[in-house]
Amino acid sequence: MAKAQSVSPAFLGECDVVIIGAGIIGAMIARELSKLKGKFALIEKEAFPGFGVSKASLSQIHLPDFCPIGSLKGKLSANAPQRFKKLARELDLHYREVGEIWLALKQEHIENLWEAKKRGESNGARGYEIIGPEKIRQLEPYVTKKAIAGLYAKEPGVLYTPEWTFALTENAVQNGVSLYLGAAVTGIDKEDDHYYKVTTTRGQIRARYVINAAGLYSDEIAALLGDADIHLELRKGTMLIFDKSVSSLVRHMLFGTFSEKHSQDIAPTAHGNLILGVHYVKPRNKKDTSVSRENIEETFKLGKELVPALREKDMITSFSGILCTNNKASDGDFYIAPSEHAPRAIHVLAGAPGLTAAPGIADMVIRLLVEQGLKAEEKKVFHTRKESFPRFESAPLSKKEKMIASNPKYGHIVCRCEQVTEAEVINAIKRGVDTMDGVKHLTRAGMGRCQGSFCGSSVLKYLANTLGIPATKVTKKGAGSHHIVGYTKQGGESGAGEC
Amino acid sequence: MLKRSKLDIAIIGSGPAGLAAAVEADRRGVKNLVVFERDELPGGILRQCIHNGFGLEKFKEELTGPEYANRYIKMAESAGIDIELNTTVLEIEKDRTLTSVSEHSGLRKYECKSIILAMGCRERPRGALGIPGTRPAGIFTAGHAQRLINIEGYMPGEKVVILGSGDIGLIMARRLTLEGAEVVAVAEILPYSSGLIRNVVQCLNDYEIPLLLSHTVAEIHGDKRVEGVTLVKVDTDWNPIKRTEQYVECDTLLLSVGLIPENELSKQAGVLIDPKTGGPYVNDCLETSVEGIFSCGNVLHVNDLVDNVSNEGELAATGAYERIKGKTLGRERIMEVEADEGVGQVVPQKISGDRETIFYLRVKKPMGKMVLRVGENFEKKFSYARPSEMIRLKIPKKIFSQMGPSVSKLQIRCEER
Repeated sequence: MAKAQSVSPAFLGECDVVIIGAGIIGAMIARELSKLKGKFALIEKEAFPGFGVSKASLSQIHLPDFCPIGSLKGKLSANAPQRFKKLARELDLHYREVGEIWLALKQEHIENLWEAKKRGESNGARGYEIIGPEKIRQLEPYVTKKAIAGLYAKEPGVLYTPEWTFALTENAVQNGVSLYLGAAVTGIDKEDDHYYKVTTTRGQIRARYVINAAGLYSDEIAALLGDADIHLELRKGTMLIFDKSVSSLVRHMLFGTFSEKHSQDIAPTAHGNLILGVHYVKPRNKKDTSVSRENIEETFKLGKELVPALREKDMITSFSGILCTNNKASDGDFYIAPSEHAPRAIHVLAGAPGLTAAPGIADMVIRLLVEQGLKAEEKKVFHTRKESFPRFESAPLSKKEKMIASNPKYGHIVCRCEQVTEAEVINAIKRGVDTMDGVKHLTRAGMGRCQGSFCGSSVLKYLANTLGIPATKVTKKGAGSHHIVGYTKQGGESGAGEC
Repeated sequence: MLKRSKLDIAIIGSGPAGLAAAVEADRRGVKNLVVFERDELPGGILRQCIHNGFGLEKFKEELTGPEYANRYIKMAESAGIDIELNTTVLEIEKDRTLTSVSEHSGLRKYECKSIILAMGCRERPRGALGIPGTRPAGIFTAGHAQRLINIEGYMPGEKVVILGSGDIGLIMARRLTLEGAEVVAVAEILPYSSGLIRNVVQCLNDYEIPLLLSHTVAEIHGDKRVEGVTLVKVDTDWNPIKRTEQYVECDTLLLSVGLIPENELSKQAGVLIDPKTGGPYVNDCLETSVEGIFSCGNVLHVNDLVDNVSNEGELAATGAYERIKGKTLGRERIMEVEADEGVGQVVPQKISGDRETIFYLRVKKPMGKMVLRVGENFEKKFSYARPSEMIRLKIPKKIFSQMGPSVSKLQIRCEER
C-alpha cells in the first residue's frame, strides 16, 4: 500500500473518479469501482484506511427495523446481512452471524417490537420472529428477568470494521485503484469543463468525478465544492469493551430502548469480547473522541439493565465514536446525491447505519456516477482478494500445525492476551500496516486485556525492523504520534536495544 | 497427531516463583520436569528490575533483579533443569494435559502428574480504569515503560506524570529522572502511598518528586501525542473536588495502578479464583481447587517481596512432589480460612492444620497499633500495618492441634489496640 510521506505539492496523477475518504463507505465504493474500466483514486487524510470514525464503530450489521418506512437508509440496508455474508466469502473475511433480539422489558414496549417488525418488513427485510420470555431465556440465559418479549432475527451479525475497511481498500488497490494516505484535502478547483483539481497535503490530483465520502468532514469537502449549505449535526457515542472471560453472558446482539441520549445495545464482538453501548452526548468538536467518567457510568447502566450480571471490573477499555446526521434529509436520513452546484460531484452523507448500508451505498453511488456520464464498463479480469491474514488463535489445532509447518514464526506468540503470533504481525506490516494502531486493529496484538503492556515493545521492534526505520520514527497512528521519544543514556540504535 | 510426552511436573513461568519451584522439585529428586517460559530468557519480570533491594531475606544481601534471578538460573542450570524458552503454554485441561507452542518445536502436548502455575501478573491498563480524555500516544503502564528503558534502551518520554504510587511507578519515577526525564508529579488517588515506604523515600523524596495524595487524573489531553493531563483532588469516596483541577503539561503518562494475577490459563483448567486476591483458592501446600495443579508467586496473589515469591515456589514444589509420591495432602480435615474484620485478603484459604503454615495477608486500610487474631487461640501484635505491606504470619502446628476437631472455620481478623 502507498506510504504517506511527501508533503510537496507534487502532481500525483489524473483519474476518472477520486473518492475522498477511505472509511468503510469510501473503501466499499472504491472496491466496486475497481471492477470497472477506468482510473480511480482513493484519498484519506489519516495514516490508514478506516482510522477516522470507522475504527470506532459498533461493527454490527443490522436489519432496517429502526429506519423509518420508505427512508433511503432503510432501503439501502434491506438485505445487508446477505450482502455482508457474500462479501465475507469474496474477501476472505470474518462475518459472525450472531443474530439479534430487540427486547421489551415493559408491557408497553411490546407494541414497539411489532412496529419495528413492520418497519423492517416494509423496508424490505425478512426473517423476523416475535418471541416470548421462555425463548428469550433459552437464547440468552443471563438476560434480565424483566424481558417479556423480543423481536428476533437470525441473520444479522458482527464483524470488525477496521479489518473490513483495510481488506476492501487492499482489494481495490490490487485492482488498480491509487491510494493516497495522509492526504488531507485543502482545495477543490474546477480546472475546465471536464476536470477538477483536488489539492491535498500530499499533492494534486486531476479527476473528472469527485465522490465526497469524507464522513465527519463531508460538510467541509462540500463547501470546497461550492455547497456551503450542507451542515452536520454531531453526536458522540461511548462504548465499552469487556473481557473475553465474560463473553458467555451475551450471545446475540441485544437491544433495549432507544432515545436521543442512548441506544441500548450489548453484543458479542467479532473476536469474542462483549461490546456495550451507546450513551450519546454532544462532542466539543469533530476531534473530540474523549470519554468521560460520566459517559462510562451511563453506558454501564444501559448494559446492567439488560444483563444484570455484567460487572464494571471486567471492562478492558472504553472508546467513543462520532455519528452525524445532515440537514439535507429529514428524520436523520442519508443524503446521497449529486452536488447542487458542482457538476460530476456526488455527496455521500451517511450516518447510522453507515456500515450496514455501505454495500447498498456503493451501488447507489455507481448508479449516480453513470447518470452523471461515467461509462461503466466492466473489466475483463477482477482480482479477488488474496487470502486474508490467517489467524493462529482461532484456527483448529490441525490447522495450527500446518501454519507452523509453513512458517515457524506462527509458533512464536507475541501478544499473549490474544495469542497473536510473530508471523501475523510481520504479515500485516508487509501488507501495508505501518503504525502501532494499525498492527493492533488488524492483528489484535495489543487489543486484549493488557492493552499492549506486554507486547508493545515487541511490536515496536517488528515495525522498526520490517519497515527499516529507527524505532523513534514508529508512530501510534501517523505523523506526530511517535511511541518513544529517544534513547536512554546507554541505549541507541546499536546499544542496549540489541540483546 | 501431536507429539505427546509425559511429565512429572510442568512449571509455567520461569520468574522467581517458577525457578524456585523447579530448583526445589529437582532437589527432592523430581527429574522429569519442564519449565515453560514464553520470553527469550528466564527470569521473568526480574529481568527488567535493574534496581537493587532484592534478596535481603533469601540471600542476606541486596541484589538487583537480574542478579537475584541469576542465582536461581545458575542453580537450575547446574541441576540440568529443562527450561523451554520462547515457548507459550496455550492451554491446560482439567486432566492436566498441557499444550505448548514454540517456533523451534511447534505444538506439543504433555500429560502432567502435577502442574505448577507461576505465570505472574499483569498491569491494570488505562481502559480498565476509564480515565477520561483522548487516546494519544504516550500513555504507558509503568512496567511497559520499564521494559522499554531497561531492556530495549528506549526513552518513552521527556516530561512525565505518573498516576498511581504502586512500587513499579515509584521505581520508574527515579529511573526516568536518572535518565534525564522530568517527572512532574506522582498522583495517588488514596490518601496514602500504595507502594512500600522505602520506595517513596528513595525514589521520590530523594529526587524531590512531589507525591500528590488524594489526587487523580481527571482528563488526558492531546490528539497525536500526550500534551498534558488535568490533575484533580478527590474526596474520600474518590469523587473529584470541584475547582481543584490543575493542568499539567507533559508528553507522557505512566500508570502504576495495580497488578492483576494472570489466571487465564488457570481458569481454562477449571481452577476456582478468589475474588479477593485475584488468584486461585489454595490449601496449605498451595494446591488449587483442581487436584495436582498448584499456584505460587504473583499469579497466586500479588506480593511485594521477591523472597516470599521464592518461598511460595518452594512450597508449591513440595506439594507437587508429595502429590506425585501419592501422599495425601491433608484433605481429611479442612479448615476454611476467612479474611474477617479489617483483613482484605489471605492465602492460603484452606488448611489441613497438620503442618506449620504461613499465612500471607493484607489489611484493608492503614492501621496504627493493632492485634491480629487467628481463630480463638493465636494472636500477634503489630505496631502498625499498611495495605501495601503484606503481613507474613507463621503459625506453628501446635496451635492447630489445640483447636478441636470440630473447628472447620478459621477467621483472621485485626483490631486496633
